[in-house]
Amino acid sequence: MKYELVSGLETHVELATATKIFCSCTTAFGGSPNTHCCPVCTGQPGALPVLNKKVVEFGIRAGLATHCKINTITHLDRKNYCYPDLPKAYQISQFDKPLCENGYVELESGKRIGITRIHIEEDAGKLVHERGFTFVDYNRGGVPLIEIVSEPDISSVEEAVEYVEKLQLIMRYISVSDCKMQEGSMRCDVNISIRPEGSKILGTRTEIKNMNSLSFMERAMKFEFERQSELLNGGGEVEQATMRFDEQTGETYVMRTKEDAQDYRYFPEPDILTVTIPQKKVDEIRADLPELPVEKLKRYTVELGINHATAKLLYKYKKVCDWFEGALKNGASAKHTANLVVGTIYSTLATEEDKEKFDIKVTSAEMAKLVKLVDEGKINITLAQMTLIKMLENGGEVESYLSAEDLAGVDESELEKLCMQAIEANPQAVADFKEGKEKAIFALYGFIKRATQGKADVKKADGIIRKLIK
Amino acid sequence: MKDVISTLSKKLQNKELSSVELTKAYISVIEKQNGAINAYVNTTFDTALKQAEYADKLIKEGNAMPLTGIPMTLKDNIATDGLLTTCCSKILRGFKPYYDATAYKKLKEQGAVLLGKTNMDEFAMGSTSETSVYGAPKNPRNLSRVTGGSSGGGAAAVCANLAAYALGSDTGGSVRQPAAFCGVVGFKPTYGAVSRYGLIAYGSSLDQIGPITHSVSDAAVVYDAIRGIDKMDMTSCETPSSPTKLDGQVKGLKIGIAKEFFEGLNPEISSAVNCAVSAYQKAGAEIIEVSIPDLKTALPVYYIIACAEASSNLGRYDGIRYGYRAENYSSVDEMIIKTRTEGFGKEVQKRIMLGTYVLSSGYFDAYYKKACILRERIKGEFKKAFEKCDLLFAPTAPNTAFKLGFSGGNAIETYLSDVSTVPVNVCGLPAISIPCGTDKKGLPIGLQIIGGKFADGKVLFAAYFAEKEGLCTLPEIEGGVKI
Amino acid sequence: MSVTVKEIKTLARLSKLDFDDEKCKGFLGEFDEIIEFANTINDAVVGDTESLKEVGGNEIALENLREDIVCESLPNEKIVSNVEAEGGFFPVKRVVK
Repeated sequence: MKYELVSGLETHVELATATKIFCSCTTAFGGSPNTHCCPVCTGQPGALPVLNKKVVEFGIRAGLATHCKINTITHLDRKNYCYPDLPKAYQISQFDKPLCENGYVELESGKRIGITRIHIEEDAGKLVHERGFTFVDYNRGGVPLIEIVSEPDISSVEEAVEYVEKLQLIMRYISVSDCKMQEGSMRCDVNISIRPEGSKILGTRTEIKNMNSLSFMERAMKFEFERQSELLNGGGEVEQATMRFDEQTGETYVMRTKEDAQDYRYFPEPDILTVTIPQKKVDEIRADLPELPVEKLKRYTVELGINHATAKLLYKYKKVCDWFEGALKNGASAKHTANLVVGTIYSTLATEEDKEKFDIKVTSAEMAKLVKLVDEGKINITLAQMTLIKMLENGGEVESYLSAEDLAGVDESELEKLCMQAIEANPQAVADFKEGKEKAIFALYGFIKRATQGKADVKKADGIIRKLIK
Repeated sequence: MKDVISTLSKKLQNKELSSVELTKAYISVIEKQNGAINAYVNTTFDTALKQAEYADKLIKEGNAMPLTGIPMTLKDNIATDGLLTTCCSKILRGFKPYYDATAYKKLKEQGAVLLGKTNMDEFAMGSTSETSVYGAPKNPRNLSRVTGGSSGGGAAAVCANLAAYALGSDTGGSVRQPAAFCGVVGFKPTYGAVSRYGLIAYGSSLDQIGPITHSVSDAAVVYDAIRGIDKMDMTSCETPSSPTKLDGQVKGLKIGIAKEFFEGLNPEISSAVNCAVSAYQKAGAEIIEVSIPDLKTALPVYYIIACAEASSNLGRYDGIRYGYRAENYSSVDEMIIKTRTEGFGKEVQKRIMLGTYVLSSGYFDAYYKKACILRERIKGEFKKAFEKCDLLFAPTAPNTAFKLGFSGGNAIETYLSDVSTVPVNVCGLPAISIPCGTDKKGLPIGLQIIGGKFADGKVLFAAYFAEKEGLCTLPEIEGGVKI
Repeated sequence: MSVTVKEIKTLARLSKLDFDDEKCKGFLGEFDEIIEFANTINDAVVGDTESLKEVGGNEIALENLREDIVCESLPNEKIVSNVEAEGGFFPVKRVVK
């Protein structure tokens, strides 16, 4: 039988606040063990949590950016479970009154993946297992998280990946998180069930915990889909379970079954007051939201006339967009700038991470100067590319790379002379052209470009050559 | 009732006595008397003498405050930087916090002198202080009787003049009831009036630090020093106006009597309370009958909520970061289970189990949720009563001090003895217990004066009348520091 | 209604306490007694339309929450001062016999 996938994701995103959710310790990544700690985040007896305002504000931002309704009265709850990385033996989270509810994330296809809820909570510490010891470090304990819970609207592995990428992009756009999966600032739990194609009934689901890379997630989901399909085809049943993915074997395995399921005994956190959020504040945060990825892509293609493929390569990286738009603000044309970014600059940035960081030596103001020279016909695109490469290597101002001669271009009479020379030097090409082989004219362009080191305006030369040949 | 704090403070500021001399006097009586009473579980004499020197310096420089140089004690569940804080539990054996509770910090800023940590029921779970890992403290008024609890050690220390005052904590009556049993003053402020930061939690929504003192004016002075909003405790709040200006006028005061507090009450206690009420009436107070229909329900509501919160609060004692750690185990999980099983006493384990039970899926609605709803209803009933009267007068406890060992075999009966004190915690109200007589055996009886939320000043104000009029004077215990 | 040994064991597992068979037997009666006591809340009639109110009924406006400003953390020696620390960590040996 053919089965279809039904999946919903729980995505944990670490918030980019300066301090932890319940104390004033830094959230900086790493650090020597137990040095970003205080009585509160190590669960000292008698210590009490004090809620960070920014965590709530970031939560609201995330909610609004995913079209959620904001609960203007919200409280925190204790989720009780005992584990060495959880110093109080409960995680302060939200249960029945999450900060945000009922939103969605739109995929490329226009399909919407529903967001059930977004709530704020604290991260746990880290355990290191070594030499027969478990070593506990609470630096990460109390770092603020939002958990974004999706509806089971995802019906393929590709959709799951795209959904996570879209979430990542949104969170980065609104500056609430860097969403680095490799550093654990974004992690996913994947719920999976299968059902016969076309069926409306949900099957029994399993949950794969703690996916910290998209490629692992992809592999885990594919494996789990196959495993469940084989089980059903063999007349078996899927058992509700919490699974882990083994990165070495590429297989999922059962961590715990329904029988020993946790009973978290949620109850309202008595140490933290109920938070009331004035509607005015929600409106302020909404007004303060930057342009979101979907809107930006639309603007780049429709308003700026950048082709879809190029626009997509730009909008993926927030820093690139900021830089790109900076150049535009300084008067550069969108089309030439976009092409130079994607064609020239990206070729010097090998990895995704490099592009995300976008740490280059050319300022957007210098870029604008360069592009304007192209826009005004003072230099052609080839010279601009060559100049940009040099600038990317050494920084500095555009002027220091272009001589007066470069900028002067090639004057009309000079160009006419060169065109004559080109015709004389390429009799075969001229003959071919006369016979109707349009492309033969390229040989003449080449001659002129070589002769002027790319300075000559090929468009103008084209006109002159055609006149002369006639 | 003697104003010990102001008397001593005057002597210190007049240079009749130095704080070091006073501290040494207390140290010497503690060394002699504590063996019999067992009020202190850890003494901090080195710290005390250093603090006394500092206090003397403050006095010399003319910077003395009301509590400068006055020796006192803290309940063993109030965190003290670098000093043992064990909640009288094996599980916190050897635990030294690295920070001060806010209340202690405030006292230190006044130049207070800490003599030591006092005995209590393990994690404040009990009404007799007998669940302490250090053994029960004994009632200085009758050594075969309990001190009450859970702040029994503090009440005993004050009663026997082994400290000028004590800080206790009151989750269901743990300051007021031992004060009543020992014949001293115990004040539980409005929930949040004193920061809970550094108070090791039992039932977080009920816990409140409060003073145990020789007199009402002493209680007012200590309360004034420790109260106030604290950025380390979100539930802390500011209570209006200082209560220290007491004049003892009760004319026109509307005293509410809710019959539910008196139903089936021991006649000895009932008559002592009524006697006090008449004295107020004679002085011009008006008596008004009110009703709290669900008063008795507050008791199971209290146990359900307190135990639920405790089961969560006590989850952190896993042997990893502090305190006792079991030996011999074959996994980290087993270490945690062994540590907790060996480290917690029987009563604590029972309350953790009850708390887990009422929060677990399937029982949550029937117990915890229902208790929360009833809690709101009882709050409403008190609020309605306070629309008709200023204060409620009631007994502190339905009985006088139990015999040592009684509560071991009578768990529920002991729970029931909290019937008059727990409603106050359930509703977050301020209340004071002051002595109002003795029973046939000469054991003290406590009068409880309860105020509406934030009416802390009014409660102290009214209690001061009884003190000024000398409604009840109990004999001074021999062997303590003579004031 | 009385509690079963199986229920006691489940509660003990969640509470991270060890209740072996013998301890369970001794505890059953006591626990029944306390549950019976807790059941007395049913003596009050609860309307089922009332919703669960917030603990303490207290609220705080968003703008009064703590500002996101870093304060220096405590030195590691303090954080681990109540254990025999190793390399700044809280160590637990996985097996001790």
